[in-house]
Amino acid sequence: MATTNSARERILNRIRQANVALDPAIDSTTVDLEEIYAPIGEAMPRFLAECEANLTEVKITRDVNGSVHAFIELLGAVPEGRLYVQDDPTLRRFVDAFAGREVLWSSSGRAPEDCQVTITLCEGLIAQTGSIVSSSRAGGRGGSIIPPTHIVYATSDQLIPDITTALRKAMASDLKDASYFGLITGSSRTADIEKILVQGAHGPRKVAIVLEMR
Amino acid sequence: MSRLAEEFLVSAAQKSADLTHRSTIKRNMDSYDAAVAKGKTRFANWEAARARAAQVKSEGIRNLAALLEKFEEKIIARGGHVYWAENSEDARQYVCNVAQKNNVRTVVKSKSMVTEEIHLSPALEKLGMTVWETDLGELIVQLRKEPPYHIVTPAMHLTREQIRDLFKEKIPDDMEGETHQELVAAARRFLRRAFFSAEMGISGANFLVADAGMVAISTNEGNGRLTTSLPRVHVVVTGIEKVIPRLEDLGVLWPVLATTGTGQPITTYSTLIGGPKTTDEIDGPEEFHVVLLDNGRTEVLADEAQQELLRCIRCGACLNQCPVYRQVGGHTYKSIYPGPIGSALMPIFNGQEEYGHLSYACSLCTACNSVCPVKIKLSDHLLENRHKYVEEGNSKFSEKVGFSFFRWAAMSSTRFALLGWAGRKVLRAALGLGISPHALGPLANWTKYRALADVPKDSFRALWRKQNGNH
Repeated sequence: MATTNSARERILNRIRQANVALDPAIDSTTVDLEEIYAPIGEAMPRFLAECEANLTEVKITRDVNGSVHAFIELLGAVPEGRLYVQDDPTLRRFVDAFAGREVLWSSSGRAPEDCQVTITLCEGLIAQTGSIVSSSRAGGRGGSIIPPTHIVYATSDQLIPDITTALRKAMASDLKDASYFGLITGSSRTADIEKILVQGAHGPRKVAIVLEMR
Repeated sequence: MSRLAEEFLVSAAQKSADLTHRSTIKRNMDSYDAAVAKGKTRFANWEAARARAAQVKSEGIRNLAALLEKFEEKIIARGGHVYWAENSEDARQYVCNVAQKNNVRTVVKSKSMVTEEIHLSPALEKLGMTVWETDLGELIVQLRKEPPYHIVTPAMHLTREQIRDLFKEKIPDDMEGETHQELVAAARRFLRRAFFSAEMGISGANFLVADAGMVAISTNEGNGRLTTSLPRVHVVVTGIEKVIPRLEDLGVLWPVLATTGTGQPITTYSTLIGGPKTTDEIDGPEEFHVVLLDNGRTEVLADEAQQELLRCIRCGACLNQCPVYRQVGGHTYKSIYPGPIGSALMPIFNGQEEYGHLSYACSLCTACNSVCPVKIKLSDHLLENRHKYVEEGNSKFSEKVGFSFFRWAAMSSTRFALLGWAGRKVLRAALGLGISPHALGPLANWTKYRALADVPKDSFRALWRKQNGNH
């Protein structure tokens, strides 16, 4: 819907009339990203170390069979309850691992309040911070935030060295057209009571990645 | 002296003598200091990161009109609505109208200082809606009917025991224990019902990304994700100064914000939202609104001496570092934005007469300048505010007379020497007669908490001459 409110022009006019001086020294300094961050080095070891630090569990697998086993192992540790899975041919291959649980595929609708675990794909992984790039195309907005456990299936060729590269890629692809995308770095947490870290504030208490090497 | 200034002095005296408060704040601040020191080691060059963050925000301010228009265009193209609000009332009215049109009964809010600034929740509640703050700290202070104590950690001033007692009283059915984990779990259970029943979610924005046309929101708890995903309507209320040029700029701003805010490498959920759900998406709000709030920001922009304040990313670092904030605490300021950034902004937003005294709640130690991730020279702004405060005629009559007299005396070396001689004589005589230093007029405020030094017989200049400049 086009903006029609009268304050718009008044605010824009006041902005345009302002003489922005600011400190020229700040603008004239050249700062390269290489100066800000130390080199990432080898991306995979860095990614795994960052995941360990931010409490994301990573199961490395060599092939589809290995990934099935990883899913079975991860699901075995999750209390009984409904499983919500992004409806994608890639994840349909792992259906055997979901046996014994009621499975809701994302094609049937949004993630329900009472699902115990969700399984989704992701848009990428970031070595610099051990982050998962998620989006509304991967199990909807709710798939990565509603359940107590969120499991992501990813492949090693999805690994991106740093946040800036990931965001540049997003701008150059149709990811920027999704109504939501973002980085998930570890499980939901809070330290609002006496600065004591507690996992599982409102979102998943546990985030795990089944990472298949390519 | 304004009523707020008087209240500030009373509260500051009480809080700085409250040992429980002091120990709670010290524990929090010590933990923050350690986390931030560790967080900075992740950068090869923290100063370079600050310089880049400041550059990006400066670029945003220099090109504010063009970037806001670009941002607006993208949001509208995705089916979102953008409303430009002149002031608090304007913004409140718009959000209330959207809520009423959508028959909203329950609202969930993700932490947003701008919505505090415009007093949005009371306006919605007046219309009969139930509004829940969903950040744990914000929920705690909401249940206590208090304003946030800190812009990042709203319940920093409370102990686990105080929160346990609060939850026992306010949300007893969700309590299953009293450890930190169990208290968090109680809030989770309580707020889950709110998330799934709310028709409207309200959030702020950490950044508005112009080239992507997206709103960036950072939360650790995931409440921001739920607030912006589950309800049918999502409204973002944000200041116009939050705009940045490029999506890739977040490659520096996200880690810098997280490091100075909490010491983390990056906030757990670094979220970008560009509009309502698209036709091929399975969930998300059907309506998406962005309220771009001026409310004094263009006034700050028009002032060349203070426009850099618009670079602020509300990380809270200046509060945490401020020796005054650490002693008197967040509530003493009685200001939406406490600490150095609030003392700089509030007199501009809400008037020198009411809030000008906050510029004096500062020892000019410049610790805030040294930690600001976007290089705002906060102490300069506090001095500038003091100048404006006096220029606008807010200083006390006795202060004006006193300084005029001092100026007159200091303009002549003879008069200055005479004044010094008379002052020493009077002071020595008064103290010799046993008069308490507390009763000595303008010195009373100083001597209330400090011993008065011995008054020398000779002036500084006389001593200098006697000793040939040697000690």
